Amino acid sequence: MVGVKFDQVSKVLGQVKAVDNLTLDIAPGELFFLLGPSGCGKTTALRLVAGFYTPDEGRIFFNQRDQSRVPPHKRNTGMVFQNYALWPHMDVWNNVAYGLKMRRVSEAEKQERVARALEIVQMQSFARRVPNQLSGGQQQRVALARALVIEPDVVLLDEPLSNLDAKLRLETRAQIKEIHDKIKRTMIYVTHDQTEALSMADRIAVMRRGRIVQVGTPRELYTRPESAFVAEFIGGTNLLPGRLEETGDLFLVKTDAGIVRAQNGAKGGMRGHPVFCSVRPESLHVRPEESPSELMNQLSGEVQSIMYRGDSEEYCLRLGGGVLLRAVEHDQATRKAQVGDRVTVQFDPRDVVVLPQEESNE
Amino acid sequence: MSKWLRRYDLNAANSAVLVFLWLFFIAFMLYPLGYVFSNAFFTAEGFSLIFFKLMLSSPNYVTILANSINLGLIVTLLTTLLSLPLAFLLVRYDFPGKGLLNGLILIPMVLPPFVGAIGMRQLLARFGSINLLLLEMGIIDQPIDWLGSGFWGVVILEVLHLYPIMYLNLAAALANVDPSLEEAARNMGANGFKLFRTVTFPLMLPGYFAGAIIVFIWAFTDLGTPLVFEYRDLIAVQIFNMVTDLHENPMGYAFVVVVMVLTLFFFYLSKRLLGGRRYEMLARGHVTSAVQSASPALTVMIYGVVLGISVLALIPHLGVFLTSITSRWFLTVLPTEFTLRFYREVFSHDLTLLSIRNSLLLSSLSTIIDIILGVTIAYLLARKRVPGRDLLDALAMLPLALPGLVIAFGYVAAFSATPLDARINPVPLLVIAYAVRRLPYMVRAAYAGFQQTNVALEEAAMNLGASPIKTFYQITFPLLFANLVAGAVLAFSFAMLEVSDSLILALKEEYYPITKAIYALLLRITDGPYIASAMGMLGLLLLAGSLFIAGRFFGRRMGELFRA
Repeated sequence: MVGVKFDQVSKVLGQVKAVDNLTLDIAPGELFFLLGPSGCGKTTALRLVAGFYTPDEGRIFFNQRDQSRVPPHKRNTGMVFQNYALWPHMDVWNNVAYGLKMRRVSEAEKQERVARALEIVQMQSFARRVPNQLSGGQQQRVALARALVIEPDVVLLDEPLSNLDAKLRLETRAQIKEIHDKIKRTMIYVTHDQTEALSMADRIAVMRRGRIVQVGTPRELYTRPESAFVAEFIGGTNLLPGRLEETGDLFLVKTDAGIVRAQNGAKGGMRGHPVFCSVRPESLHVRPEESPSELMNQLSGEVQSIMYRGDSEEYCLRLGGGVLLRAVEHDQATRKAQVGDRVTVQFDPRDVVVLPQEESNE
Repeated sequence: MSKWLRRYDLNAANSAVLVFLWLFFIAFMLYPLGYVFSNAFFTAEGFSLIFFKLMLSSPNYVTILANSINLGLIVTLLTTLLSLPLAFLLVRYDFPGKGLLNGLILIPMVLPPFVGAIGMRQLLARFGSINLLLLEMGIIDQPIDWLGSGFWGVVILEVLHLYPIMYLNLAAALANVDPSLEEAARNMGANGFKLFRTVTFPLMLPGYFAGAIIVFIWAFTDLGTPLVFEYRDLIAVQIFNMVTDLHENPMGYAFVVVVMVLTLFFFYLSKRLLGGRRYEMLARGHVTSAVQSASPALTVMIYGVVLGISVLALIPHLGVFLTSITSRWFLTVLPTEFTLRFYREVFSHDLTLLSIRNSLLLSSLSTIIDIILGVTIAYLLARKRVPGRDLLDALAMLPLALPGLVIAFGYVAAFSATPLDARINPVPLLVIAYAVRRLPYMVRAAYAGFQQTNVALEEAAMNLGASPIKTFYQITFPLLFANLVAGAVLAFSFAMLEVSDSLILALKEEYYPITKAIYALLLRITDGPYIASAMGMLGLLLLAGSLFIAGRFFGRRMGELFRA
């Protein structure tokens, strides 16, 4: 198995530093995600691994082997392209067999391996169709078979599900994960869809403007974001601006809407500085105003709008100082409030993460 | 019946227009072609294959037929070999001055080969410039017979004239290849020639065939160039000679049928084989570009290649230019005395002055017809559901596969002894022949315009209260304008320099258009060739100017016009 390592890699495309001093270690056999908004450099990073770009600075290793100057056709990576890039002048079988032909695999072995690859993606019966006769999901599976059949050192997936409809996307997610468990090869998977990344990844690198913002397991990223960007990008959150007053057992933050106590946050150095309190919408509890309790973190506000979402209801609240907050209630036996009602919103300090306010607003 | 009708957008106006279009196509395409066919297959005694038997049993005719096919194939092959590297270099690499070189490559298109042939003859003749130069330098001591029978002279001129068309098609085909398809192949281990052979070229094939068939038909049926070279062993020349005595010798019909069947066969083959297969690009993806910037060394090489080929293509026309300003050029490498006398004569000589006036009139009329027909047909095809839509489309595009030779011959034969008889007054038939020949370009230009114009723009106008006619004039037409100008300029300038129709149809000197006048002048011994050259230069400037204008309006999509 092959591990992939970026060593201080930079790549300029046009005027933009698409990848900026990237250092990253992807373990052998890992299902690793590059996650970020469009233009963050994740696809550029993937194409650097495939060899379609060579780094301007830094080096890329497969295990100990420096690959930085190796041309794409000698890298032995198997890539699934976003648009699948199936050759329209070849049928499914020939598309899948292509990489084996280039590797001069014997006829008998080729037959067997193509058949096996098509079986893995359940496309055996479509071998003689041409790509234009296949649905999007089928094309996607052929592209996957084509990448897998050559037994690549690394499988590269560039937004492989973005052209599928929502239902098929869920099915295919499970399928790709299953294939990964079965073939145990290093996979690098690029996406902008955080639910995809959270549900499939061994580890995720969140990227922004060519740099890595945070690397970790899905759980780490969700529960312990280290920046407002990650907190917002993964899962969505409320950011209450304030000033960090105390950093004892609990952090104490003074916001325009009131005092907020938090259990989590980056260590030290931020006291007296402007910070954000990050609270997930589903951690908020909305109650009628005149139901006092002893719990910490009770802020009062007014219901601005209510959005019914089937399995839940989303409240948009305006707190003191004009702070807006989203709260999601899953228990809908009774409506908590009506639009225009004064309410109290309460949340546990364990669900609050204190994050630095970034210096600039870029 | 009513159910059938409801499937179409038919109202009184649409139906009337359709009927008119059908009558036009029947009268000026189907009837003349049918007439030629029936005369080739029916004698006074009824159905007979006698003419075809005669043709195939005459070794002479078989050679002529083979010559013509060879000419078409060789020219197609050579233009491919010349254009493929050009397309690769200019599509795949970025370098300073790329736009300029792109323009330079296209220049030979505006140089009509039969004019170039005049210059070529001057340079390559037995005692022409090249032989004299070599003799003076002592490299040879006997003049070399460069032109031989004339076959290779025709080949060279046609290759130098037609490679831009091939280039436009190959470049467009290459630019259309989705870069991710090549990347996928490299990811799977292909590179270099293997990559080109297994992925890139197969994907280019539809575009390639679209250009190749145009080049083939052009070369296969070109009449002007072989006439100037006095190379007679081509089917086009034979047909030209047979026009005048059709009544005594009906072999002409059989020859035209053979040409028509062969071009249609090759046309069908190119469409069928691969041209018809469309590789629509798949779902959208990460957009990458396959264009790299060229290293300085490569840039120098690209300039060398393009400039070299362009200079080569310009040599014949340089000869024309020299001829046109020469008062004495006899047994010397370069002319010894210069004059502008022949340019003055172009504008004072009876024949030339008349022919310029004729050409302007004929071309203007045919362009107007093209605009009207082209916009109407494109509108029906792009916006309306009408019965027989595919047939209408096919008929409008048919002239691409029909050599001018065939159309002109059909007109002369089918309309003799009618009010349109070309022997009495060829103007109506010349106008219609020009119009029909260029109709596909006009339909395409207008169709592209309709397609770029979102129907929603028209619907928005109607929603706000504009009538359909107002909508057309205020919304659709302004949006179409650039395309119409480009199409019209092309139609006009090609009509000005149309060769085969003019040579065949203009049977009376008072109705000669420019091209026929040039040909007639060439046959005169004294100062004819000089005046012809001066006139050729003027025609060349005209075509260059109009193509430049058309290019400005049509931009980079110019190539879409020159394909089947």
